[in-house]
Amino acid sequence: MAPLPHAAGGGARMSAAIEVRGLAKRYRDVVALAGVDLTVPQGTVHGLLGHNGAGKTTLVDVLATRARPSAGTARVAGLDVVRQARHVRRRIGLTGQYASIDEQLGGRDNLVLLARLLGARRAEARARADELLQLFGLTASATRPARTYSGGMRRRLDLAAALVNGPRVILLDEPTTGLDPAGRLDLWRIVRALVQDGAAVLLTTQYLDEADRLSDTITVLSRGRVVAGGTPAELKHRVGRRSATVRFAAAADLEAAGRALRRGGFRPAPAGERRAVTVPVERAGELAALVRVLDDAGLEPDELLVADPTLDEVYLALMSDPAATPEAVR
Amino acid sequence: MSPAREPVPRPVSWPGSRLVTQIDALTGRSLRALVLDPRVLATSLLAPFLMLAMFSQVFSGMTAGSHFPEGIGYIDFLAPAIMVNTSLQSGMLAGTNLSDEMRNGIVARFKVMPIWPGSVLIGRSLAELIRSLLRLTVLLLAALALFGFRPGGGVAGVIAGAGVAVVLGWGLGWIFIAIACWLRGAELIQNVSGAMLFPLMFASNAFAPVEGLPGWLSLIARINPMTYGIDAVRDLTLRGAAGLDAVIAVTASLSIAVVSLFVAERGFSRIH
Repeated sequence: MAPLPHAAGGGARMSAAIEVRGLAKRYRDVVALAGVDLTVPQGTVHGLLGHNGAGKTTLVDVLATRARPSAGTARVAGLDVVRQARHVRRRIGLTGQYASIDEQLGGRDNLVLLARLLGARRAEARARADELLQLFGLTASATRPARTYSGGMRRRLDLAAALVNGPRVILLDEPTTGLDPAGRLDLWRIVRALVQDGAAVLLTTQYLDEADRLSDTITVLSRGRVVAGGTPAELKHRVGRRSATVRFAAAADLEAAGRALRRGGFRPAPAGERRAVTVPVERAGELAALVRVLDDAGLEPDELLVADPTLDEVYLALMSDPAATPEAVR
Repeated sequence: MSPAREPVPRPVSWPGSRLVTQIDALTGRSLRALVLDPRVLATSLLAPFLMLAMFSQVFSGMTAGSHFPEGIGYIDFLAPAIMVNTSLQSGMLAGTNLSDEMRNGIVARFKVMPIWPGSVLIGRSLAELIRSLLRLTVLLLAALALFGFRPGGGVAGVIAGAGVAVVLGWGLGWIFIAIACWLRGAELIQNVSGAMLFPLMFASNAFAPVEGLPGWLSLIARINPMTYGIDAVRDLTLRGAAGLDAVIAVTASLSIAVVSLFVAERGFSRIH
């Protein structure tokens, strides 16, 4: 699934920001991860997509040195997350699903504290806090206790807290959960800026459009296994096809269209919405043929829509197909 | 976040923090949390006063007992014990409050930072120690002003006694921190800590002389560091001098602190 060849051996080796091989994690009798491979090069965003319980957070926990793998290896910035945990901690920035900040303290005090713990002198720590507050638009509320912040402000403070040490590897566990649309756009913009600056970002999400829009590469997890991976475009091509959705005003027309299309060699399927069918159309010629078939049958659709599959469809297709092992997907 | 379009945080290269810095920064944070809520602060200052008021009334008949030292008022016998127990309670709070602290998001962040996890615990316990000094001051002022406490040891004796009391409570407090680091759930921690607190408090010479306790209880009282601490604090406040008791009490509580710190740190930083 790794889109780039993973750097192997050699002294001049340029290690990937995140490199996971055969990673497994069991909690008593629960298998959270069952052999995951993953490579995230520096300067890219990798989207980790999956249901609740798919293993996304467990993977982040292992990378953040918060959980110990049962098998396999994980390296961050070339460092082993088990044996070199402390060095890994110096290099990562992490935001979890819940804001990891002190609610009683103001934004500035939170950031000053973290900077001092990371080795900044008092003055440096204050300067760093002010820089981050400015960057995240929190200067005006710097001294208010964080518990009075809105959800969006809390998220921003949490992200600022994750960036105090200027990490080159950033782990974001469902960073936009609970954010309003404007807040999500803001966060996306920050993530893009960080990656342009050369950082690597691993981002878990349940939002398919988020993974689609933000990620250079995506891994889809299900029950602790990788079920698909690649660029967003590759994923769409692998599973979904370009399709036409044809909608009719009358149910009778819909049935007639179904019959006509099948006679014409198409494979119409219910579109999930009332009075519409989707028809795979791979080439432009097929689309012309589809219109001709409908025209010949004297049917006039209310709406005819041609679209690439959304990641949502990709995801649902992968998840509902029990044979969708990585091999089968490829 | 409109200001954050292109700019990103500047790179930094910090060497990592020294242990002293970690403890300093984390003690400061914990201390602010302890004094931030005026109601919490006020009630925590009131507790030792109530303890003194209750025990001095309920047990005042104790002086009639045959084992009671002659020529000493019950308040003079009791006040040093309340000092030690106030300090011990502070020690327990350092542990039981940890379960609240574990729910604080920033502690989750501390755990994935390149710091020694033990400094988070030390910060908490030092903050609690400072609050315990505050509580002792209020207690002593109340005992002197309202309860007729007349310590024969003078100011120096009282200060030295308070010092022993603080060290004792702080050291034994690490037992409760270790409990909180290994158990999950506020109620469980409360219950286990309570079960630890009572024998430390009552299986001692705090409220009645050891000689007056039933055999099995006096046996426990004789191995309880609290007994030696209370004796030392009594000697210091009432006579202005202390013997071996003070050494035993301080050594025992500091040893317990070191071992418990190690155990607590293991529990606090363990990962699954």
